[in-house]
Amino acid sequence: MTPEEQPIKPSPPVEIASGPPSRALDPVLAALDPDRARPAHVMESKALKLSFGAKTILDDIEMRFTRGTITALIGPTGSGKSTFLRTLNRMNDKVVGFSHQGDVTLDNQSIWEPNQDLLTLRRRVGMLFQRPNPFPMSIGDNVVAGVKAHRIAKGKQLDVVAERRLREVGLWDAVKDRLGDSPFRLSGGQQQLLCLARALAVGPEVLLLDEPTSALDPISTEMVEGLVRELTPALTIIIVTHNLGQARRVSDGTMFFYDGKLIEHGTTSQMFDDPRCEQTQNYVTGRMG
Amino acid sequence: MKAIGGTAGDLPGAPPAKAMRRAPAARRIVDALRSSEEQLWRWTARVAVVLPLAALVFAITVLAIKAYPAIIVNGWSFLTGSSWTYGSSYGATVHTHGVAHPMGSSFGAWPLILGTIQTSAVAVVIALPISIGAAFALTERLPRWVSQPLGFAVELLAGFPSVIIGLWGILTFGPFLARHVYPHIADHMPDVPVLRYFRNPVGHGEGLLTAGIVLALMIVPIITATTRDLFGQIPPLPKEGGEALGMTDWEVARRISLRWVRSGIIGATVLGLGRALGETIAVVMITGSILHVAPNIYSPMTTIAATILTQLDGALTDGTGFAVATLAELALVLAVISVAVNLVARFIVKRSGRLGGPVGRA
Repeated sequence: MTPEEQPIKPSPPVEIASGPPSRALDPVLAALDPDRARPAHVMESKALKLSFGAKTILDDIEMRFTRGTITALIGPTGSGKSTFLRTLNRMNDKVVGFSHQGDVTLDNQSIWEPNQDLLTLRRRVGMLFQRPNPFPMSIGDNVVAGVKAHRIAKGKQLDVVAERRLREVGLWDAVKDRLGDSPFRLSGGQQQLLCLARALAVGPEVLLLDEPTSALDPISTEMVEGLVRELTPALTIIIVTHNLGQARRVSDGTMFFYDGKLIEHGTTSQMFDDPRCEQTQNYVTGRMG
Repeated sequence: MKAIGGTAGDLPGAPPAKAMRRAPAARRIVDALRSSEEQLWRWTARVAVVLPLAALVFAITVLAIKAYPAIIVNGWSFLTGSSWTYGSSYGATVHTHGVAHPMGSSFGAWPLILGTIQTSAVAVVIALPISIGAAFALTERLPRWVSQPLGFAVELLAGFPSVIIGLWGILTFGPFLARHVYPHIADHMPDVPVLRYFRNPVGHGEGLLTAGIVLALMIVPIITATTRDLFGQIPPLPKEGGEALGMTDWEVARRISLRWVRSGIIGATVLGLGRALGETIAVVMITGSILHVAPNIYSPMTTIAATILTQLDGALTDGTGFAVATLAELALVLAVISVAVNLVARFIVKRSGRLGGPVGRA
């Protein structure tokens, strides 16, 4: 990284995944922005190398995620994009044989730093999985499970949190009369929305989505995509997807992984319409997959 | 490669055309064989499903017939009374409600019923947390090369002969507890309602608490082995979801894993409880076999199963057969307790299983 690319500086206009234009250009909005004193790049990976045992999964990943944007991670199966995503909230740490070199930072602080609390990191960097994974407790308890664990709220406040988050994901009207019921009777799409509400309830700054709609029907997919767009710029979203249309619809920036390498990254429109590398061209046009 | 458009039998890999055009008579024989095989299978399944149930009904019916004279004479006080006298076998035989029994015989099983419930309750209270912790360590915490032999050892213990455990309990374990463990508990218990039960004297190691602990050792392997298998079936995604939400391992275990298999653990506990209720030989050796309500948790007492075993010899000398009938009634009471425990467990499962995780789904 060159010195003039220090993360504290505001991102240059052509940089991938630059924030919504209104915020960057309007001085009033910029002054009101509660995040204005914080680094423009909420997360960064620096010369990151990930391996399982002797096998290197990803090598030399340099990436910066601008606050309040959506970044799509695309690439064929086995290209390492999910491994990269799961490294960002240290979900790989417990995997046997996992090791890393280089660094990942959250607000300029390494996520592996000794005084970086793992539980706090995971509160700030939330995650939604490939398939809905409700907990074996009532719908209402599911939404506030993380809130309870982190002691963010208690008693009557929990009901308020549950209602607000369920409204946020548009599930309130469907479940308000059966908050005490099992979540496993909801449809797959509703379950995934419930998991999204649960992830949002602890107030994360970054949300990692690991193919969140791969198990959902088209209508639920559309709902989740709409929500993802609404969640920015309050949240920074990083989404792994096999669905190129989805990457194109929702994201500001796109990263293309192939065979353990970050081949190319840029704004989504540039990546899809005018990619620099031939492999990217082949992948986004469907000639390789 | 043959030309496209041949008959089905000509396709590569398909059976020769000749087999497809088998003579109708041979085809009929094959079909008849297959359908008779199917009939045999169906009837085997029907018999297999009825047989265990029939055996149970038969056993309980015989027991009830044998116990009938005792039920008439002893009446309801059998469940509440505390005296246990066979009467004089040399004295006159008297008749009550048309049933012959020795003069002065009187039976009340309350100390035995209470003792059975007490020992089993102590055993489950001790065994359940240990078993869940052990199962959790085996599935989640220990490396495979440790957990596999340990798991095998646990399964081995589940079928360990109880007479060996009983002998060890009375020769070594009981005296050790009475000398080095119980005094520490007894000396520090205040004289308040429930805790008063834990105060001195601690005795010599034969009694309720020792029996409960030894029974716990016997049922820990059963509950552990079952719970370990249940933990192994929990899909990884809900647990990962908990971790990703910033829960500690303990919170994931308590709020997600345990709840996921809650009804299964209740089932495993009932299995263990069944063994504790019916365990005979080890209990005979450790309880001290005294027919009274234990005045404190260390004192000797006895249970239904132990009493049936220890009293049978003497009962057979009763010429009127009334003592044996009374033991049959005792056995009937134990059967009823076992069934009641199962029904209660079913009720709990029905209530708590409502929010449990679906098995076999992610």
